Amino acid sequence: MNEILWLVRKTLRSTFRKKSSWLVFIGLPLIGVLVSMLLYGSFNGQPLRVGIVNADGDQALTQDAIQFIQGLDQVKITLMDDETLRSDIAAGKLDTGIRFGAGFGESLGAGRPADVQVLSVKGASVTAYVKAMLNDYLGNVASIAQSVQGDKAAFDRLYEAYRQSSFKVSAETLEDTSHVKDMTYQSLGFLIAFMMFSSVNLTELILKEKENRTFLRLLSSPVSARTYVLSNVLVNLFVIVIQIVATLFFMKNVFHIDSGIPTGELITVLLLFGLAAISLSLLIVAFAKTTASAGALSNLIVTPTCLLAGCYFPMDIMPDAVKRISNFLPQHWLLDTVNKLQHGEAFGSLYLNLAILLAFAAAFALIAIYRFGRNNDTRLFV
Amino acid sequence: MSNVLEIRNLTKKFGDFIAVDNMSLAVREGEIFGFLGANGAGKSTTINMISSLLRSTKGEIDLLGKNIAKNAKFAKSNIGVVPQDLAIYEDMTAYENVSFFAGLYGLRGEQLKERTVEALEFVGLGDKHKAYPKNFSGGMKRRLNIACAIAHRPKLIIMDEPTVGIDPQSRNYILNSVRKLNDMGCTIIYTSHYMEEVEEICTRIAIVDHGKIIAEGTKEQLKAIITDTKDIWIGIKSEDEIKVESLKQIPGVATVRIEDQMVMINSKAEVNNLNQIIQQLIRDRAEIRSVEEQAPNLETVFLTLTGRNLRD
Ligand SMILES: Nc1ncnc2c1ncn2[C@@H]1O[C@H](COP(=O)(O)OP(=O)(O)OP(=O)(O)O)[C@@H](O)[C@H]1O
Ligand SMILES: [Mg+2]
Repeated sequence: MNEILWLVRKTLRSTFRKKSSWLVFIGLPLIGVLVSMLLYGSFNGQPLRVGIVNADGDQALTQDAIQFIQGLDQVKITLMDDETLRSDIAAGKLDTGIRFGAGFGESLGAGRPADVQVLSVKGASVTAYVKAMLNDYLGNVASIAQSVQGDKAAFDRLYEAYRQSSFKVSAETLEDTSHVKDMTYQSLGFLIAFMMFSSVNLTELILKEKENRTFLRLLSSPVSARTYVLSNVLVNLFVIVIQIVATLFFMKNVFHIDSGIPTGELITVLLLFGLAAISLSLLIVAFAKTTASAGALSNLIVTPTCLLAGCYFPMDIMPDAVKRISNFLPQHWLLDTVNKLQHGEAFGSLYLNLAILLAFAAAFALIAIYRFGRNNDTRLFV
Repeated sequence: MSNVLEIRNLTKKFGDFIAVDNMSLAVREGEIFGFLGANGAGKSTTINMISSLLRSTKGEIDLLGKNIAKNAKFAKSNIGVVPQDLAIYEDMTAYENVSFFAGLYGLRGEQLKERTVEALEFVGLGDKHKAYPKNFSGGMKRRLNIACAIAHRPKLIIMDEPTVGIDPQSRNYILNSVRKLNDMGCTIIYTSHYMEEVEEICTRIAIVDHGKIIAEGTKEQLKAIITDTKDIWIGIKSEDEIKVESLKQIPGVATVRIEDQMVMINSKAEVNNLNQIIQQLIRDRAEIRSVEEQAPNLETVFLTLTGRNLRD
């Protein structure tokens, strides 16, 4: 055990002494998140500009509705008159306009909201979000009003309670948009591609040690080849954990992308995939004789499979044939799991996906071990 | 004196090729044991088996009385190997290199520090702790290569051509360190292509050829093997004119070598052929400057026994 830690320490030290390693192992996944944001995040980058006309005066319910819209994430409201609203929308200074007509508050309190208009020139998708949130809100207030059947005190009580909760959940509901899903998917797609590359990089150290002969010196010490390979796997695991944690941390706390999946579950599936990535690297290293050929082999394997499995862009646009091929790739099963978790499937129900990921890891590892064993005739080789 | 290393009927085949052929050998405590052989004789292969890097095809190796196949950890911890090819990390400092390898033998903390410093001091790199080997000269790298093998204070140190391709100063330094290590109680196996080195420092020598030990003993014993031959060294002005073939025709002459304006002839001791040799050289218009009759040296022993030069 002590031996392994000694080896792990040395590998980590000499690896992370180089500044380039920080970029390759940790910087790139973060850049991946950034790129995903640029690709899918027009919505996230700039708040939605909403112009509001209030022709209903100081009505409490109307004011609350306006506040609700203001409370939505990524929305910036400006109060204005009809004239400005129309011209600003036409000039593209606003994304959406909302007009509350006179008597709106009263109609809402009576359970039949009337005279609210949502206007926009941009595509429906931009306004759909605000519209949907507002409709939801108004619908709920209206149904409270209907249920109390004119009992003012009861309405105030229920309404107050609802207001408290609805203003709180609004932020959460927002994240549940396809943009955020796309960004999460893409960030994780990049992450696993980088995980695969960096794992090959780290496992290649075995070949590098052979090339500069230090491997023989290691083996002439009490360390066995098996211990050495195990230490390499541990280094790999360590780096992968750091990559996963750093990426998720940045996604959540710096870029405010909520994956919509409990962090523990997400880390677990990513780790499972990490195991498969490490096994695949061992397989590549077992078959390659030099670092150069391992590099070539990994490019030949990792890039195309990531492409086919949809790490670089969503699967929906792929032809069916590609979708079928991707069933044979571990990346597909990770992304599929993420997708299903995002759509609310329970972690426990995804045991097939998890088992397949584990099976990939086991299969690659077994072939690698078998291959190492064949090399083992001379003990010069792992 | 007990045996530190005992090899019995050791054989190694690579496919059909027999690299080490039924070799038996004993190295006693306190010896500097020379392993002499031409390229491809099987020296490194034997060493790799002793250091558990290669499995033998047949035969046994005991270190300090224990079979190394059955006690691999014990054997490995008591051996220090200085490999023929440099085995150091270019991207780690000299100190880190030694410290890392010593750590593999279980050294930690203060003890590790002391031994690391000591080993670097020992090979004359005491002022280079923080330097990276990529900026080292060939000789310094060789010395670091040695330091990495001795910090854990092994009983047996195996040096596989530690002086290949280095400057005379580093070579002297290394030869002196070998003697010092020996004085400190280390048993040493030393292989080299340089006869002078082996002759200078080794207490006992084995001559290996085609995977077999063809002679073994002290310098004196080895030289005594060929009392029936003599060496005649004739200094000449120019090597161009000499016809090796006609010299070889002379009765008694076994081998002829020409090197550095010197004709070196190995001949049967009982044949008196010096006159004939000189006459032949005069006939070839060689300008003779000196004539010496030598007692056989190791070089001749090697040449006579193996029929080839130590270095190609
Ligand atoms: N792994 C291997 N596979 C096949 N043949 C090998 C292998 N290792 C060594 N040999 C062969 O075995 C023979 C002995 O090699 P070895 O390296 O032991 O010689 P050596 O005495 O150390 O020579 P040198 O002085 O050049 O270092 C050589 O002919 C070599 O080609
Ligand atoms: Mg050799």
